[in-house]
Amino acid sequence: MTRECNACWCERPALKWQRTWARVWAAFITTMLLLSHTFVASGDTAPTQATEVLQKYCADCHSSETPEGDIYLSLENVDWTARETRNLWESVLRANVEQIMPPLNEAQPTRRERESLSQWLDAKLLQHTPIGGTLPRRLNRSEYRATIRDLFDLAQFELPLGFPGDTDAHGFNNIGEGLVLSPPLLEAYSKVACEIAEELYPPKKTVPKPSVRIAKPDDMVLSFSAATIRDGALRLASRAVDVMRSCTWPSRIELSTSGTYRVSVSASKFISDRGGSFKAPMVLEVYARPVAASERSRVQDFRLLTEINIDSEEPQRVTFEADLYEGETVLFRWKNALMTHDPPAVREGFEQVARANKKFLAAWLKVVYPSGNPKRPVRLSSLRGRVGWDSVSKHFNDTGLDLTDVSADSELAEAFFKLVTRSGKTTIADSLCHYYFEYGPSLEVHSLEIEGPFKLVDGPKDQLRWRQREQFAGRRNGEVSDEEFARQMLEKTLPKAFRRPVESAVVDRYLAIAEEHWQAGHSFDEGMHLLIRNILISPRFLYRSLGEGKLDDHDLATRLSYFLTGDPPDSVLVDLANRKRLSSDWVLQRESQRLMPDKPSDFFIKDFIGQWLDMDRLSEIMPDPKLRFTPYYVEMAQHEVEHFFAEMLRENRPMSDFIDPDFTYTSPLFAEDVYRLTMPDKLTKNNNVSRRLRRIDLQRGKRVGGLLGQSAIMMATANGVDTQPVLRGAWVLENILGMPAPKPPNNIPALTPDTQGTTTPRELLAAHTQDAQCVVCHKRIDPFGLALENFDPVGRWRTQWPDTKKPIDAAVVLPNGSMVDGAVDLKRWLAANINPFSQCVAEKLMTYATGRLPNYAEKKEISEIVNKNRENGDGFRDLILALIASDTFRTY
Amino acid sequence: MSPLPYIESRRQILRAGTTALALPPLESLGHSKSDNAIRPKNFVAIGTYLGWYQKAFYPEETGKNFKIPQTLTPLAEFRDDFTVFSGLDHRSQNGHGAWSNFLCGQSPKSYSLDQMVADAIGGNSRFPSLQLTAGAGESNQSGGHGISYTRLGIPLPKTRRPSVLYRQLFTSKEDQARTEYFLRSGRSALDNVLEDAKSLQQKLPAADRQKLNEYFDSVRVVERRMMRQLQTVNDPVPESNYKLPDYDPITPNLQMEAESIFYDLMVLALETESTRVISFFLDGLGQVFSIDGRPLGSGYHGLSHHGNNPAMLRDLVAIETSHIHCFGGFIKQLKAKKNVQGVSLLDDTIVLLGTGMGDASRHSNRNLPTLVAGGNFSHKGHVATDSSKPGSPLLGDLYVTLMQRLGMEVDEFSNASRNMNEILS
Repeated sequence: MTRECNACWCERPALKWQRTWARVWAAFITTMLLLSHTFVASGDTAPTQATEVLQKYCADCHSSETPEGDIYLSLENVDWTARETRNLWESVLRANVEQIMPPLNEAQPTRRERESLSQWLDAKLLQHTPIGGTLPRRLNRSEYRATIRDLFDLAQFELPLGFPGDTDAHGFNNIGEGLVLSPPLLEAYSKVACEIAEELYPPKKTVPKPSVRIAKPDDMVLSFSAATIRDGALRLASRAVDVMRSCTWPSRIELSTSGTYRVSVSASKFISDRGGSFKAPMVLEVYARPVAASERSRVQDFRLLTEINIDSEEPQRVTFEADLYEGETVLFRWKNALMTHDPPAVREGFEQVARANKKFLAAWLKVVYPSGNPKRPVRLSSLRGRVGWDSVSKHFNDTGLDLTDVSADSELAEAFFKLVTRSGKTTIADSLCHYYFEYGPSLEVHSLEIEGPFKLVDGPKDQLRWRQREQFAGRRNGEVSDEEFARQMLEKTLPKAFRRPVESAVVDRYLAIAEEHWQAGHSFDEGMHLLIRNILISPRFLYRSLGEGKLDDHDLATRLSYFLTGDPPDSVLVDLANRKRLSSDWVLQRESQRLMPDKPSDFFIKDFIGQWLDMDRLSEIMPDPKLRFTPYYVEMAQHEVEHFFAEMLRENRPMSDFIDPDFTYTSPLFAEDVYRLTMPDKLTKNNNVSRRLRRIDLQRGKRVGGLLGQSAIMMATANGVDTQPVLRGAWVLENILGMPAPKPPNNIPALTPDTQGTTTPRELLAAHTQDAQCVVCHKRIDPFGLALENFDPVGRWRTQWPDTKKPIDAAVVLPNGSMVDGAVDLKRWLAANINPFSQCVAEKLMTYATGRLPNYAEKKEISEIVNKNRENGDGFRDLILALIASDTFRTY
Repeated sequence: MSPLPYIESRRQILRAGTTALALPPLESLGHSKSDNAIRPKNFVAIGTYLGWYQKAFYPEETGKNFKIPQTLTPLAEFRDDFTVFSGLDHRSQNGHGAWSNFLCGQSPKSYSLDQMVADAIGGNSRFPSLQLTAGAGESNQSGGHGISYTRLGIPLPKTRRPSVLYRQLFTSKEDQARTEYFLRSGRSALDNVLEDAKSLQQKLPAADRQKLNEYFDSVRVVERRMMRQLQTVNDPVPESNYKLPDYDPITPNLQMEAESIFYDLMVLALETESTRVISFFLDGLGQVFSIDGRPLGSGYHGLSHHGNNPAMLRDLVAIETSHIHCFGGFIKQLKAKKNVQGVSLLDDTIVLLGTGMGDASRHSNRNLPTLVAGGNFSHKGHVATDSSKPGSPLLGDLYVTLMQRLGMEVDEFSNASRNMNEILS
């Protein structure tokens, strides 16, 4: 029987990095095709030695009519100024250095021959590769959102649902070549611009005549057990802050105009013989509530209008005036209700009634402890709401209920009180509401009237609008004409929107738009409305990195700011740029320090590792239920990486700590269950402590800790069900070592190697690399994956392969010939040879920061920075600072 | 845009304004059915967030001679107009977060059935598709609340206020004028930025200039689109004397009222050929409904976690029966409206009623209760399948049948690559 080989990563659904590779490779192939034309261009010719090496080892396959892999090599008249040419020879250089070519079954160059070719290519590439070349970068989704928020003081601005997404390039979503501008996107930009213009300069509204709106109890919202209707009145029982547990409001009144209204409420006390007494006045709070507010709102989210004292059992009518705003209605809450849903007072609520009323306690105990054993309560979740109270009230109303030995001080009662506190604040308190609804004391609302508006007022939305207008347009002083004011607005806003000073010709052009509009008979506001819609679709607003050569102070400010904060430059940076001070080395360093993120929740940290380490993928992975890896674990795993990275950056930790650190951040529960670490009792006994993330000391040189020991990374490199060593290996090559192995060229057919008799993934892979065509890449990829096979798809350690139960053998030979015995040994090897990793991280950071893949010369500069940093303590923060100071960072 | 909660109506109007406002000439109403094989041309999908209690939704018997189950009692008079399917699902993930598997198939939050249909047959309508919702629930951030997703997996916003839908369908003169103003001034804005872009481009290196061509191309395409819209912006739109209440029933306890009104408006939208594709999301959280004047014992979500408690089940089924009661009103109107050939709007419309949650009490998304009405199918009562049997059909197989019925040349949906044409034809 032949089994289809399904271990090879190229047969798998494309993951992000694979797609990236596919593009890289596609570009590579295109390059080859282009070359056949560029070869005729004039250029120089290689020295004899390099020519000889190529002639001797490469020409057979790569200079024929149909060259292998479509790669055609010739050293005659090379046009080094063409980027495609340089890319080709850079890949030749890499194949030479890493000994990818010639294939093993062909004659191999001597070391000296390889070196002479490398040295010559290196010199040529450096000589002809200019630093720079970022394509214009359209603001991506998050940059766009942050920029709009900043420009209009719209702190809560969110992109509308349906807003188009961004495309990745080189693994990141902020790269010039990936950030395409499409017609639907331009339409979305226009739409957002229009919505913002409508916010700031809405059309004039007509003022409605005053009218009366009436709400009766059956027009009021009932949610959970917050209220009920008895005898035609609405009864309230709880003072919980969670409105859906305690409050009610009319369902059919939504005011469309901000104004002063007259509100009348009719309410009374409800007290019965079987319930308790309530001597003090009942205090009814009346709030203003936006009708569309979230069901999860709390009372403190709303504006308190008044408090009404109710001291009669007869309905009493109270009238007051209040300002109510567009979209609002009123909301009722009984402020001094006897019970609440808010812990820990739930216990008090039950205990109070239980002490006053033995039957109440007896009925509850009978329902909750049918066996009478305090250790064996029924599940309280089945007693939620009125359904729960119905079960209890059956006993409560049973005249034969046995009250012997029923006492609020008994062991059973204490167990019950503890249980209601522990089981949560809401569901069981809902049942208690129904006791109050039935027997009182509760507060009754009979009717509500709202009349108005009698006078118009500025609602918070209007006030906010004034503030936003001022932020955008500046303050209008007395005698200024419309033209002058619009010019003032443009002079203030355009430089901010375009992130650089604006020539007066540009201001004039924009002013002319408004003027023309006014001349056509439109109002001042409509002119401003139109200007906003213009500015927000201008390429000067939508794009950054426009230009070539060394970044000027303004573009430097922009690049630095979006890189470290995700936001447009703040006023400090803008001021420095205006004074041309930012480009001085020490100022740039000081500002980089100032903006450097240090909290795990900071934008840069989440965004960068989300993309570099594929943390963004975690939410898509559904771990197999067999792995017992709950959503809490997934979240904890992700937080671990974020906190870890934040400390690396904040504390300027040495680069080798990325691989083999003496700390991590996770919860004691996670550490014990996933990492099998032994935690002190005091951290695991209390559920809250045990589930909370904290800094945990680790011993170096063990499995746990570092990027190659973290659960989240092992998850992101598997699929939630099983591990795929080839995928994980390719991921390590790409993201840890920065040496992606190219995809097999297109002319290699999909392979079905003979895998008969293989039982473990290792044997399967071994069979598969018998094939000479596969082995070139797979001897580079597979070892890194196999070495990590002890980590299951969620990063737990395992010693057997799941299906065959055969022991995992994770000893491998790395591409450079080093022997490595499994994950721990791999970490040791990497920490001892940290430079490739540092180079990889540095290149990723540079790609993310500049929006382009570093070219040959830039990689060289980065490599010098990495080496120099190594000599100076190898701190991660220092590395980022040095990268920012580099020519690569500071060039368009 | 979350900071702007109160101007939904105005913004929605704008959105309508930027969509095509073209309408087929009114006299063409009802003339599209001249070919012999009557093919439905509309598609409506309706889903409840909290699922349907299976035992009260599935008939006990299979086939045509079934006894109407409790939840479906309001549909008794239409028993020949629908088929109930049990045992179908998408083999998707469990939990509220994966609810959108209802129309998306095995991968939640991917290209949804209604959008596939809209992309295939919706293009010439004023609104390629409509997305509606009734009943307040969790905020949108929680992510499980999408029903319709574009080809790229982008969730589409849903209209929550009937007044907004009404104004979209029956645009007033003032709204039309404002739309025209926005289109005209928007076009001039494009001309202006194009000038600005040209002056900017002059100073840029060649590679940057080339990259900016994307910008120029986009401006030209959008401009052409606006031109087309301008040509039709003043075309007559249908008029209606339908009377909306003077408030929007958006508070959670008015969900049934909102559903009834939306169903009325949906009939009008289909009848006037304003759209061919509608999705309707029936939300649910803690709202306590009063049914026949009696407030129920718990909130909707609480009841959905019934744990087989009979009292809770009674109330849950009462809510679900109310949903079906509103739905029955929809079916009744569709059936009553006939075109000149005597084809009813129901025969012209495939109505899919279901959910992405198979059993809310356990958060299981297996065995999704599904009902197909109308579409000129010869209906089969209750079709039961057993997903534990190898080779048993997927819900996606049924969706393939629905799409083919609408004239789409497709033979797969999500993880399904067969069809149920033998069963439902």
